[in-house]
Amino acid sequence: MSLSRKQRRMWLVVLAGLGLGTATALTLTAFQDNLVFFLAPSDIATKNPGPDRAFRLGGLVEAGSLQRRQTSDGRPEALFRVTDGPVTVPVSYVGVLPDLFREGQGVVTLGKLGADGQFRASEVLARHDETYMPPEVADALKRSGHWDPSKGAAPPAASWNTLTPGQPAAPERSGG
Amino acid sequence: MSSTPPAPRPAPRSASLSAASPRAGGGLHRFANPGRFLRMTERVLPWLWAAAGLVLAVGAAWALVFSPPDWQQGETVRIMYVHVPMAWLAMGGYLGLAIASLMSLIWRHPLADLAARELSPVGAMVTALCLATGSLWGRPMWGTWWAWDARMTSVLVLFFLWVGHAALVRAFDEEERGARAAAILALIGAVNLPVIKWSVDWFNTLHQSASVTRVAAPGLHVDILYPLLTCALGFSLAFAALVLARVRAAVMEKRLRQLQLAQARQNDTRRNEVAG
Amino acid sequence: MTQHWWHVAISWALAAAGFGVMAWMAARRHADAKRRTALLGPRERRQG
Repeated sequence: MSLSRKQRRMWLVVLAGLGLGTATALTLTAFQDNLVFFLAPSDIATKNPGPDRAFRLGGLVEAGSLQRRQTSDGRPEALFRVTDGPVTVPVSYVGVLPDLFREGQGVVTLGKLGADGQFRASEVLARHDETYMPPEVADALKRSGHWDPSKGAAPPAASWNTLTPGQPAAPERSGG
Repeated sequence: MSSTPPAPRPAPRSASLSAASPRAGGGLHRFANPGRFLRMTERVLPWLWAAAGLVLAVGAAWALVFSPPDWQQGETVRIMYVHVPMAWLAMGGYLGLAIASLMSLIWRHPLADLAARELSPVGAMVTALCLATGSLWGRPMWGTWWAWDARMTSVLVLFFLWVGHAALVRAFDEEERGARAAAILALIGAVNLPVIKWSVDWFNTLHQSASVTRVAAPGLHVDILYPLLTCALGFSLAFAALVLARVRAAVMEKRLRQLQLAQARQNDTRRNEVAG
Repeated sequence: MTQHWWHVAISWALAAAGFGVMAWMAARRHADAKRRTALLGPRERRQG
């Protein structure tokens, strides 16, 4: 067994790397629950955070559920439902909603769940859905009936990411 | 077992380089001669700066003026053309730092030490830019400047790793010990890279998942994707030029120190001769 | 200028400032080392 100094250093680095990688993987697995930024509506039943504990609730804003009104002192209030499919939670929030907030969009809300099942949010964050498209392309998809943003995610990107919508005065409009 | 006497290695490493075996380190030892390195890079650097400037000018005009707004983000999408390249450079640069540290620890390549030392302040800057632009994007879009989700927290850790490396490498009187300690820190910190990359898939986060590098088609329209790739190329060229310029300056400074040392020694001998 | 454009402008300005300042610092370090090397003696002037 004769390893040169370089080879010995190399093996030392490889072994240390393996040990470190394993330790990190184990740590991340162990802490997975603590690294969760928000609970989905379905998680609330299993991980019941209790009525007085503030926690983050995340999910999609249900289509057709958004109502905007004003509180008695003139501040904007929003009522909507957050869903992850099987479970839906009604949410109320007083304050200005972020730009990306809309029906069908992912949101993360911080607040407390009342005994009446109403989630009172003190903060509403909108998630981005990782699609980037010009307004004309989004309009074209909506007009053609391929996509209703309030009902769900955009169609597969390959179907639109090279799409060039017609001139602003599209035939069906100028004709009608 | 080869028993090399633990004789103190001569202080300037470049002196022992010509003797180092040329095959180890992948033939990179020919760059170890400082004079040759300076001559070779002197011709490359102006072209690198020119290419970076040209591509960035095109990229900035495309990103700020000629590309469309996003259907839901509006004009704020134009922050993404800085934010995403900075995030790629922060991680790609760190991969470069880890490779340089590996070469430094295993093959003791002097240029690897110098490159790592000059890389980390630039890496810290692009990571800071990534965090700052992300914050400026997040405020109007998400509704918050910052959230402690797994993606943002792991990028903040990356920033601290860059700053820690830059500080550690300069913390020792003996340069070589600083380089060794910093290289070990850089390699340990490399476990953060996969955590950053896949944090958005492993954990639920406020930050969205990858758009460009996903398995299906990129989730960006080409009118947004192409200016993004142009900006990424431009910033990468500028990053490379910046690091190369810093390494060149460091090589010059190192040679200056060696010459000053040699001159001082010469003066000493002369003085001793006169005295004796 | 709307708030959105302000955020865009600040982002790009920060990037330009970051790269610009670091490039200027590198150029100054190089010029400084070159000047002081030249002071040491004519033999060293040819390189760099």
